[in-house]
Amino acid sequence: MKETVLSTKNITKRYPGVVALNRFSIDFHKGEVHALLGENGAGKSTLIKIIAGAVQADDGTIEINGKSFRKLDPLHAKKNGIEVIYQEFNLVDSLSVAENICLGERHGKFVDHAWMAKKASEVFARMGVDIDPEALVSELPTSRQQLVEIAKAVSKDAKILIMDEPSAPLSVSEVEKLFQIIRTLKESGVTVIYISHRMDEIFEISDRVTVMRDGLYVETLETAKTDRKRLIQLMVGREISDTYPSKRCEIGEVVLEINGLTGSGDTEVSFRLHKGEILGLAGLIGAGRTELARMIYGADKSESGEIIVKGQRVKIHLPSDAIRHGIGLIPEDRKQQGCFLEKPIAWNATIANLRKISRGILLDRKREKEQAEHYVGLFSIKTPSIQQLVKNLSGGNQQKVVLAKTLATNSDILIFDEPTRGIDVGAKQEIYELMAKLSGEGKAILMITSDMAELLGMSDRIIVLSGGRLTGELTKEEFSQVRVLELASNIH
Amino acid sequence: MKTINKDRILPLLKKYVIFFVLIGLMILFSILTPYFLTVQNITNIFVQQSYVIIAAVGLAFVMIGGGMDLSIGWQMSLVGVVTATLMKNVGLPVPVAVLIGCMLGIVLGLFNGFMAITLKVHPLIVTLGTLTAYQGLSYIAANQSVILNLPPSFKYLGQGYVFGFIPVGVILMLIVVGTGSFILNKTYFGRYVYANGSNEEAAHLAGIDVRKTRLMIFALCGFFVALASMVLFARTGSAAPSTGPGTEFTCMTAAVLGGVSFKGGEGKMWGVVTGVLILGILSNGMQLIGMGTYAQFIVRGGVLLAAVGFDTYQKASAAKVKKMV
Repeated sequence: MKETVLSTKNITKRYPGVVALNRFSIDFHKGEVHALLGENGAGKSTLIKIIAGAVQADDGTIEINGKSFRKLDPLHAKKNGIEVIYQEFNLVDSLSVAENICLGERHGKFVDHAWMAKKASEVFARMGVDIDPEALVSELPTSRQQLVEIAKAVSKDAKILIMDEPSAPLSVSEVEKLFQIIRTLKESGVTVIYISHRMDEIFEISDRVTVMRDGLYVETLETAKTDRKRLIQLMVGREISDTYPSKRCEIGEVVLEINGLTGSGDTEVSFRLHKGEILGLAGLIGAGRTELARMIYGADKSESGEIIVKGQRVKIHLPSDAIRHGIGLIPEDRKQQGCFLEKPIAWNATIANLRKISRGILLDRKREKEQAEHYVGLFSIKTPSIQQLVKNLSGGNQQKVVLAKTLATNSDILIFDEPTRGIDVGAKQEIYELMAKLSGEGKAILMITSDMAELLGMSDRIIVLSGGRLTGELTKEEFSQVRVLELASNIH
Repeated sequence: MKTINKDRILPLLKKYVIFFVLIGLMILFSILTPYFLTVQNITNIFVQQSYVIIAAVGLAFVMIGGGMDLSIGWQMSLVGVVTATLMKNVGLPVPVAVLIGCMLGIVLGLFNGFMAITLKVHPLIVTLGTLTAYQGLSYIAANQSVILNLPPSFKYLGQGYVFGFIPVGVILMLIVVGTGSFILNKTYFGRYVYANGSNEEAAHLAGIDVRKTRLMIFALCGFFVALASMVLFARTGSAAPSTGPGTEFTCMTAAVLGGVSFKGGEGKMWGVVTGVLILGILSNGMQLIGMGTYAQFIVRGGVLLAAVGFDTYQKASAAKVKKMV
């Protein structure tokens, strides 16, 4: 019988509109490498944040070495030997490697650089990597920074080490090094909780793997006794509710053609979008979906490739070019990119086509009012008046304002980037119906989404990106979560 | 509908609190000294503050657009010195010299904007650099001396009267405030200024050319600052490089007092004007009651801190109410 060092019992965490973790229970053994697997939004990040004390669960308990905690804070988590390597770096750029590794620790009354350098060198020697402890973190490439991050956690003599996508910035040989470190840690009795989207790694390094889905615990398997197909099936497992609006009209001619579009990366993408079609663009986080959308829209620069709108090759340098050619973008981050929170609805709904509805240089308040009221009525935006500030609206209604702003430019090609993120269920349904209605009117829609049910329910066709490259295309008959996940994790 | 509703009055009071502060100050000084509320003194205040208000209108555009301009004081100095040199030493006719001076103001503003865009640095830092450069240019242009006895037709801008009792500077100030207010509230460009300041990324994605907008804002600011410079130098009657600097901080204080947000996206012209007048009346009143210059600085600083503190407190309590609902 293996010794259990950490377990969660019926942990529940709710965020507005979603249950991130639902009565989640799991056990971690001493000296094992335990992988967590699940789609975007399955609740992996929430789980590790709760274990690390970074967020508090609404319900349930955490047990560390037999001690039970109802609420855990970062300090107590650390005291009990839990260390986390997050996806985002937590290093201070302007300090040296050694200073970062020893951050928060004291040796004597004054800053002891010699002691810090010695400590850092020891850790690096244990890990078998060669990094100058005196170097500034900002001078190191991303992969080395990741190794420093790992060294920092290792140096704390963690009993339980959580790694969230640690291999993402590493090269192949560095990943090998990482695995060696993990194996050494394992032998010394450290429990490693390993999160990765890369199946290969999970099979190579983990002893057991737990599959999560929609904040629920699905199953824990011994890695050696399972295979990829089985894991993907478990990840998917869910039935798709048929609450999506049904098909609206015939799909027409090609309205947007992307040929070999290249951005700052070294990969290129080509695809076609038809009139009246909803084309789903799938991929894991970091696959380059948003980057692609921003390039098409002219928000970021593209290096090469061509964009053809309705048979005409067009040059798009700025969003205003895209708008002129009938392309609209509903951005990923509603609050930071989509709207002006401190301004009224009428103001927001007219800003993108303001020049068109002005008389010369003069604003035309009457036309502004008419346009805002038109969209408030059309989308049934719930508000006492069009002078209401957008920050006072609910997420769903804010999204409708962003949509109004975009549609007012008469766009025929609409790019929706995560159209329903952070929106409650009822409002989601309304957004889906709006999208169906728009495509029924002949608008072409490119929909980026990390929500699998939404992707399969709304799309007429799906293309999948992985590592900035198109890895496949699925027609409606071929739709399955398994296929999408296989393409997204680049397994054939 | 005729009953006066408390829910309506309170937000109104809050919105125009700065205006009530101005009225309150005027009443206070009227009680404290008989010399305050006279036609002569009030006219004086307006004449003294007209150039500050003109420059503050320019700065308000930059601040509402999400930027900052620390260089306007030295811009005024440089523009004034160059205009004076053109009139006195080169011998150009006054209107031509003034026109060139205004164009120089636009160029200086454009340079600030251009540097902020190409260096991708906040205008606060950029103008910290350009202010020093403009300072050097101004001393070089003046050849380290003061140009005395500017032509009477130029001095008219700062010392003359229309119909014998309305100061020309005040008329110019009214025109500038009117124009600024018109651009900000009635044109689509004004809307773009607010959009730039309140969320630049959203403005970019809404198809607004944010760089062009920023350049135009700085050009506009440079133009208004040049006008302010004309009024100031014409009132002084002579041109020294040390005339002008310091105005940037008065304008900044006034703008913040008047409700222009440091983060951009918020602010009204009447607020800026009220802000300048509050500062002007404060120093005038304090002088009349015989308060020392240094004590006046303390009061002005205190007023700014109180205004900013009140604003933050108001926003925090508004946010609290929203959360509870």
